[in-house]
Amino acid sequence: MADGGPAPAPPRPRAVLEPGRLRPPVRPASLAVGALPVAGVVLTGVAFWWIGVSVPSLLAGLGDTLALLRRMLPPDLPPAPGLLSAVVETLLIAVAGTGIATLVSLPLAFAASRSHGSARLVRGVARLVIVLTRVVPTLVFAILFVRVFGLGPLAGGLAVAVHSVGMIAKLATDVIDEADPLPAEAVRACGARRWHVAVSTVVPRVLPSLVSIVLYRLDINIRASAVLGLVGAGGIGVALQTALGGLDYDRAAGIIGVIIALILVLEVLSVATRKRVGAAVPDRTTKGHVLPVSAGARHDVGWDRGRILRFAAVAATVVLFVVSVWSLEPAPQRLLDAWPNLRQLLTGMWPPAFSSDIVLGVLESLLMAIAAAVVGSAGGLVLALLTARGIAPWRPLATAARALVVVLRGVPDLVYALLFVAALGLGPFAGLLALWISCTALAAKFFTDSLEELDAVPRQALESVGATRPQVFLGATWPQFVPAFTGNGLFVVDLALRESIVLGIVGAGGIGYLMQESVATLSYDVTSAIVIVIAVVVYGIETIAQAARRQLLGR
Amino acid sequence: MRGRRSAIPTAAEEPGRYAVEMRGVHKAFGAVTVLDDVDLAVRRGEFVGLVGPSGAGKSTLLRLVNGMHTVERGSVRTLGTDPATCSRRGLRALRTKVGFAFQQFGLVGRLSAMENVLMGALATLRWPRYGVMSYPRALRVAALENLDRVGMADQRFQRCDTLSGGQQQRVAVARTLMQGPQLILADEPVASLDPASSALVLDILRRISREDDISVLCSLHQVELALANADRIVALRAGRVVLDEAADTLTADRLRTVYGTGDGTDG
Ligand SMILES: Nc1ncnc2c1ncn2[C@@H]1O[C@H](COP(=O)(O)OP(=O)(O)O)[C@@H](O)[C@H]1O
Ligand SMILES: [Mg+2]
Repeated sequence: MADGGPAPAPPRPRAVLEPGRLRPPVRPASLAVGALPVAGVVLTGVAFWWIGVSVPSLLAGLGDTLALLRRMLPPDLPPAPGLLSAVVETLLIAVAGTGIATLVSLPLAFAASRSHGSARLVRGVARLVIVLTRVVPTLVFAILFVRVFGLGPLAGGLAVAVHSVGMIAKLATDVIDEADPLPAEAVRACGARRWHVAVSTVVPRVLPSLVSIVLYRLDINIRASAVLGLVGAGGIGVALQTALGGLDYDRAAGIIGVIIALILVLEVLSVATRKRVGAAVPDRTTKGHVLPVSAGARHDVGWDRGRILRFAAVAATVVLFVVSVWSLEPAPQRLLDAWPNLRQLLTGMWPPAFSSDIVLGVLESLLMAIAAAVVGSAGGLVLALLTARGIAPWRPLATAARALVVVLRGVPDLVYALLFVAALGLGPFAGLLALWISCTALAAKFFTDSLEELDAVPRQALESVGATRPQVFLGATWPQFVPAFTGNGLFVVDLALRESIVLGIVGAGGIGYLMQESVATLSYDVTSAIVIVIAVVVYGIETIAQAARRQLLGR
Repeated sequence: MRGRRSAIPTAAEEPGRYAVEMRGVHKAFGAVTVLDDVDLAVRRGEFVGLVGPSGAGKSTLLRLVNGMHTVERGSVRTLGTDPATCSRRGLRALRTKVGFAFQQFGLVGRLSAMENVLMGALATLRWPRYGVMSYPRALRVAALENLDRVGMADQRFQRCDTLSGGQQQRVAVARTLMQGPQLILADEPVASLDPASSALVLDILRRISREDDISVLCSLHQVELALANADRIVALRAGRVVLDEAADTLTADRLRTVYGTGDGTDG
């Protein structure tokens, strides 16, 4: 430094050319994300081997299925009055179940919420009820309630209600916990009681999200009610079961057509309603922040048209709910008669009789679900890429793919399972194919939505670089899409597991068959063991899926 | 104002002198006219600042230049080629020579700065790529040099969504450098940056333009930034060119009065 003169500024060292500097460091997190699909593919291989899925068996299955579909043509509709009453009964079961569940869920959600200072014990019990009712599928409750209350829509409505309690209360708890605590504290500071606080500060703010949660659940419950009849719990599924039992495939095709039509109409209606209500549906992909209903701040207190309409809608809802509950025929005598059955069920459940068959059955359900979710996600990805706006290569193909997905989603999983069992015989092969189709449709819908939500600018940036379509996809679209792909893929596993548990009811493999048999033979100790194992596995998968999703999509 | 027409010779008179040449350009979306009889030229190596209130049509104009939009009437020549008449392959070839910087950067947030920069060279490669190591070593070296030029070499393996806005825009500029561009189009590159980052990014753009003889057409919101960095200023207002002058003879006040500070919906 001392050897005189102003030293020239040293040139910036260009030491950046060492090979090590060109290699990105390895990130454990990205390894973990990469490991998930690998694990999925390995488990799918195991499941295919276990169930005996191979190219020849698939081709043979395709042939048999086509033969069955040919026998289903032309579809034949049951007489109109009977059909209409079956459709109405289906809808009423769903409305009654959803309504009852909503009434029970609200206090439960407040009791379970962190921010409302309920006693630790109360909160723990509330959480346990929510988890237990949520992880046991509707159809499992339906089987039990048919035992207790006899055949008919009462068992179905209650099954829908109990399962929905868990679902609605969980989402409602999240919404309540996320609501801004300040207004509540302000009111509490004025000396208000806890329930006053809940009613006056929290309810108004969570109401829009509650409405959309309940509408969303109603949508799901109508789909569920359509198949309750398969276990004798009322609705249009009874007619389907009768037709299939009598090998009357034309009639079965007609009824399935009606179910698809019903679900499509509801899909249109629910999209329209959600738009009108203007409340955000609890969002799967983002953090589920809920937007307030239209922000027009109006301070008038008179009766304008909107208020009259709202009031009319509320009144109509109440009337509809009362009618639906009444339609289940909950006569006091019937409920009293059910008491001995219920006591027999509950006492018979203890102690649970675990066995290796149960574990194997649940394992089979789990493998079916994972395999179906993996292959379904792959197929769903292809469909989504053909459909998503801004990515789809060809408009007419996109429209066709979108229509295909909507129709595929219109058929309940259990109906697919019934058809495959009829075509291919009993066993998990039929169940896997059924789940495969429904997972494909489900994944296609989720993936299309998330692809359309992606930021378009990186894509445009690569287009303006002169990249080819495949380069743009792999460079910009895919990296942005990976978290949604993995997260939604896990969600599909979660949903598929709930379905694969009940597929056995129609003989399509998994634990469901054992479950139904144990109830039929009054071996309630086996039933309770099965329910416990199911609950543990479903809760475990749900927790893993949610944690991974939060990791991947949250932030 | 009409005098500007004579300032632009036809391509036949002096071929290759202009990086961008627009004549009588008219563009509408449906019934809404967005650009109306626009003439504009960018000389080789020139830094042209495109100013105008939001909605004036700046983004639309820039997108016409690289063929993301096409004109209804009038002609556009970008580096001597009309993007509208190009085949898809021809358009890709043209875009290779034209860098584009977006207000929202257009980086893939989950990927490293290095990988985002490498993607600027995709047009020289045949197959899709995923991951830094899937690019040839020579390109990785080039990417690092370009990151160094924008002062981002040290953050090369940082995820882009963990970088500040100014840093992200510098990475985006490095990506355009990977193309070896003759022209850089920048659409409000500093509109979402703080003043210090804005100055830095524009400084880098101008330096690159000088050093590599790259023409730059850069739309800007702020008059002062345009005057400080551009050789020439073109002002748009409601789809019309209302001013086209060398930056050194222009004052901020005059520029402001000419193109107005309204929201561009009038007129
Ligand atoms: N793709 C498009 N479709 C319809 N209108 C558009 C589209 N792009 C821009 N516009 C309209 O063109 C006008 C100019 O937009 P733009 O070029 O983005 O202006 P600037 O970039 O100067 O803010 C605006 O009124 C805008 O609404
Ligand atoms: Mg713009």
